[in-house]
Formats: sequence, C-alpha cells, structure tokens
Amino acid sequence: MPAAHPVDAADAVFGALSDSTRRALYALLGQRGEATATDLARELPVSRQAVQKHLGTLAGAGLVATRRSGREVLYRPTPGPMSEALEWMAEVGSQWDDRLAALDRQLARGRSLSP
Amino acid sequence: MEHTVERELTVPEEAQEVWRSLAEPEWLGEDAAIELREAGEVHAGERDGFVEEADAPRRLVFWWSAPAEEATRVEIDLDELDEGTRVRVTESRPLAILDGRDLAIEFGGAGGGAGPVASGAAAVPLVGASR
Repeated sequence: MPAAHPVDAADAVFGALSDSTRRALYALLGQRGEATATDLARELPVSRQAVQKHLGTLAGAGLVATRRSGREVLYRPTPGPMSEALEWMAEVGSQWDDRLAALDRQLARGRSLSP
Repeated sequence: MEHTVERELTVPEEAQEVWRSLAEPEWLGEDAAIELREAGEVHAGERDGFVEEADAPRRLVFWWSAPAEEATRVEIDLDELDEGTRVRVTESRPLAILDGRDLAIEFGGAGGGAGPVASGAAAVPLVGASR
C-alpha cells in the first residue's frame, strides 16, 4: 500500500482545490508548466502575496512542487496526488468486475436448472 | 467523473429474477447480507452500510464503508432489454463528485456569466486570507 491514509490525502487535495482562485491558479500553472508567483499574479486578479499563499496551500496538498533558479522560485504542477483517485477507481473497478462475475455465476446456476 | 466507477453486465434473465438474485448476496462477497428495502442493512465482509433506495426490480442504491474508510454510494440499475437485463453499477465518492461539479463550472464555464462571477467572488476572501 503506497499511501497509509488515502482518505487524508484526498481530503488535502480536495481542500486545496475547493477554492476557485486556487483552481484557476492550478489550471494556469498546468498551462504554463512552470512559472514564478510573479508571472502567475500578472494573469490573475490577485496580489503576488496572495498567489504565493495559495501556492503554499497547493504545495501542502502535494499538488505543486518548487525549484529554485537563481533568485527565482519556479512552481510546477505535480499531478501525483490525483493518482489516488485513479488508484481508487482501479481498485473499486476490479472489485465490481469480480462481484458482477459472481452475480453472473449465481444467475447461471439457475439457467442450467431451468428447462 | 474521475471519482465514479461504472461497470455493467448483461444477463439473459428478466429484471425480476436479477433483483431476486441481488438479495442472495454471495455475489457481493463473503459473509454478505443485503436487505432490499429502504433503510435496509447492507453488510459485506468488513463493510457495513444501508439502503438508500430500493425500487424493485429497477434500482437499488446503497451506501457502505469499511472501517476508517470514507463512505461510498453504490447505484445498481437494472434495465430490461429485449432479451435479458443489463445490470449497471455505479460506485461514487460523494465528496469528490461535489467537488468535480464545482470544477466543471469553474473550468468549463467559458460562456455565461460564470467567469466574472467566480473571479469576483474569489477575490473577496483573498483579502482576509492574505493577511
């Protein structure tokens, strides 16, 4: 099991994305690939300080990572935490594959008995 | 969307018979029990839950969760076909669904007034939050 607390991880991700400005920020960062807080603030109706704070929240949820380049700090999106959702889908999906196969077998028993 | 799992199975039996079969819950897992009525109990392995909706022989909705896991919602729809029944299962995480809807409005809303309204609304809490 990779994540000890998948629900907590999901909560952090959805908490971080529950704010419309942070979502806009995250989408913008996704388009840019990598950007400084100053770059991002130019495109959004918020101050650089506010952008920085939001980036901190996104980073706390594992949604963005930072890299220092000279005097600048560059932010980039890390879609990693979202894979928790994909993991959930894969796990739950395979459980339903098994259950539906079992339901089919259960019904099939009646099939062989009927005339 | 990303927090919904859908699976389906088509069987030659009529919906009524499939419905009866749902009540014999070995298919749901080991040590399973399900009461096909509203507020009925659901039990499967370490999961427990309750029935939200039981509309025989068409639709069954229940919630369940394992200890320390978030509750998820399962919808089972039986669609009568010319020959047989299609069993459609949808399991979802309600928290994620609500969030996804919100995201769709924010990112998908190119037209309408959604954009300006959203950014205007977002700017308000920021003032307090940035202190």
